[in-house]
Amino acid sequence: MARNLPNRKRRTLWSQSGPSPRLVFGAAIIAIVGVLGMTPKEFFGIPLAWPFAALWGAMGWGRVGLSLRPMILLVIFGVMQDIVSNAPLGCFALINLLVYGMSAGIADQTDGMRDTLVAFVGPVVLLSAAFLLVWGFASITSDHIVRTWPLLTSFINTGLIYAFANRMYDLGRRPGESPGGNG
Amino acid sequence: MARSGRSSQKSGARRVTLGILIFGALALIVAQSAPQISNFFVPARTTINDRIGAPADTSFWAQISGQAERERRIRELENEVRDLARYKAAAISMAERMEAYERILNLMGEPPERGVTARITTVVDGPFAQTVLANAGRLQGVEPGAIALNEGGLVGRVTQLGDRSSRILLVSNYQSQLPALGEVSGVRAVMQGKDRDRGVLKDMPEEAEFIEGERILSSGEGGAFPRGLVVGTVTKQGNDWIVKLAMREHSSGYVRMIAPPEIVEPLPESELPELPPEDGTASASQGAQ
Repeated sequence: MARNLPNRKRRTLWSQSGPSPRLVFGAAIIAIVGVLGMTPKEFFGIPLAWPFAALWGAMGWGRVGLSLRPMILLVIFGVMQDIVSNAPLGCFALINLLVYGMSAGIADQTDGMRDTLVAFVGPVVLLSAAFLLVWGFASITSDHIVRTWPLLTSFINTGLIYAFANRMYDLGRRPGESPGGNG
Repeated sequence: MARSGRSSQKSGARRVTLGILIFGALALIVAQSAPQISNFFVPARTTINDRIGAPADTSFWAQISGQAERERRIRELENEVRDLARYKAAAISMAERMEAYERILNLMGEPPERGVTARITTVVDGPFAQTVLANAGRLQGVEPGAIALNEGGLVGRVTQLGDRSSRILLVSNYQSQLPALGEVSGVRAVMQGKDRDRGVLKDMPEEAEFIEGERILSSGEGGAFPRGLVVGTVTKQGNDWIVKLAMREHSSGYVRMIAPPEIVEPLPESELPELPPEDGTASASQGAQ
């Protein structure tokens, strides 16, 4: 009896929680990172490239398919990003939603595969698309080609943090699916 | 089977919702290319800026733990340091101005500076615009188009003004165009934002060159900025004259916003008040003719 204990998979609080608490937790992290991003960001005089936190949600939440609540959250985060960064309203909402839709599309096409290639290539493709969108919108609205390097560093940071924190944006099961299996 | 049908219906509805949201966001962006629609959102933006930039009330815990008192004292000292730094910057700019006064006789004096000091609550170095949000607005006496300075020198200009917040477009922003002149050489140019810490001098109407390491001041031409505010120091890199912005070297998180220069438009000749006739016959306009 006691011998079997180490073999039993330990159920963490996170593994037992459903999509709603996970969504709230992920959204809270995005909000906190976003609010901190509004403050001056320097480390010993070196300006920090702040990540686009809402993209973590767009990439992670999309992996289980489309759902209404993440879309609403991404629109809200997008509008806040637009206001804070003085972008045209709707710009970041559009980018977040496109990344979310693409993430759901990739997950659908790969049939939920979680092998290393999909786990690596998927976010890289999504972040590249998001980078091009932000850069394109910024260049069009400000009538000049904006510098790519500061934007690129922010996206690299977004990707690096997502590589470690992607589990926080895993909703666990598809929308409408029951905890036991098929919905 | 029926369950599978319902599931696919739901999935289709979600796709349609995503499509509608994406289309709505795109339509909103396109609609804002019209200035009337873009201006419609300005009050909403300034209201939210007010919420973000408004000073938080001192908490009860801060009052009983003495933290509020310590913070008050720190603010007092910081204000004093800022005042001293302002006097230093004023002395530099006044010396430059005095020189001009000596050259040009009958020059009209600059009006006394009125200003409001505010804390920077939000910094945006994003790809769209380099701006900061300060926690003082119309209610604190900030005027539209006010000039923002810090301990180093010129920071930028107020482009959006709320009741309790002001959005300042930094001089380092790409679209910022600042008429400037060399403190020693007197060469004039327009400084355009290059990156976070630097600007580039363009449109030099004169053949002369700047002096490496000299200080760059605002020239006051165009009337948007007062004359003689410290902008930075100039160095030559390749064919470009690059200004290292002084505002980045002395940034304590506060800005002082002063009223923009007020230039009274001269009256057209037809609206000039008539002078009392000399010898009872000729008027001023008749004399001009």
